[in-house]
Amino acid sequence: MSEQDHQAFEKRSRELFQESVDGLDMRIRSRLTQARSAALEAASSSRPALLGWKVWAPAAGVSAAAILGMVLWLGSPVQHRSAILADAQSSFEDLDLLASSDEGSGDAIEMLQDDIDFYDFADKAVNSVPPA
Amino acid sequence: MPRFDTLNSAWMVWDSPAPAPEGAVLEYTRELERFLADIERRAFRIAQVALRDADDALDAVQDAMFKLTKSYASRPSSEWRPLFFRILENCIRDLQRRRTVRQRVMTWLPGPKEDPDNEAQDPLDQVADSAPPIPEKLMQAQAMQQLEKSLRALPARQREAFVLRTFEGMDVAETASAMGCSQGSVKTHYSRAVHALRAQLGEVW
Repeated sequence: MSEQDHQAFEKRSRELFQESVDGLDMRIRSRLTQARSAALEAASSSRPALLGWKVWAPAAGVSAAAILGMVLWLGSPVQHRSAILADAQSSFEDLDLLASSDEGSGDAIEMLQDDIDFYDFADKAVNSVPPA
Repeated sequence: MPRFDTLNSAWMVWDSPAPAPEGAVLEYTRELERFLADIERRAFRIAQVALRDADDALDAVQDAMFKLTKSYASRPSSEWRPLFFRILENCIRDLQRRRTVRQRVMTWLPGPKEDPDNEAQDPLDQVADSAPPIPEKLMQAQAMQQLEKSLRALPARQREAFVLRTFEGMDVAETASAMGCSQGSVKTHYSRAVHALRAQLGEVW
């Protein structure tokens, strides 16, 4: 690829991207403005967080994740357990996914804490199945 | 070149920085607002390209805004842009991870495989635009869709290098700061991204 082609490709990509930015609808623009205002307001009113929360959060997160894992495992019907075992390779991939954490990324435990409603739903869904 | 090696641990620090004088706080709050207002739409589109979902993209941008304003507002304004995009990329990856894990959990569950957070779509979104499409605009939109599709097929680091360099117009040094890697790595990721995109999109694109 010549340098000229390269520059033309970059230019076209940039123009198309800018076009799509300029074409954002009012709903998105409004929500972005709201997000900005909320972030600035939160920053201006922030206070030092409680010592206890930050110190105990990782330990609590690990415990919650362990309990959650047990609930999902023990609460699942036998056929689902065997399906899980059959899918052991995928499960290990998930563990790898959870364990990996990029620099600056929220860690996996934080992710599980944020998703607690979803796992509550999952637990209820598993337990709602009558035993075979 | 500014580096942010302590970014991860900085999120866990619970002590706020020493309070700045009120006038100074007001000034950098205004500057921060200008910065965010300038960057937010592009950031949204960059997140949307990666996540393929407007609501997820809004969540990622909002999360990045909160993290930047909460932890890094007192940093020199020249550092905000690479910092913001580094945080945004991490938010994007967190959402992608969360989505992957949720999909896996959903396959284990009995009954309908529907995520409880999948809200019903707004019926107005389904209504066709009454205005006739303008051919040129339509072609541009299609070309952008092709580019987005090809970008999503790239490895994450290549996509990141491409969007920061091309869409956000960062130079190599700033991109390296945002990606937390060397300038040489940025050049490599970027070059591979451009070649892969050209190969996928073809010469006529």
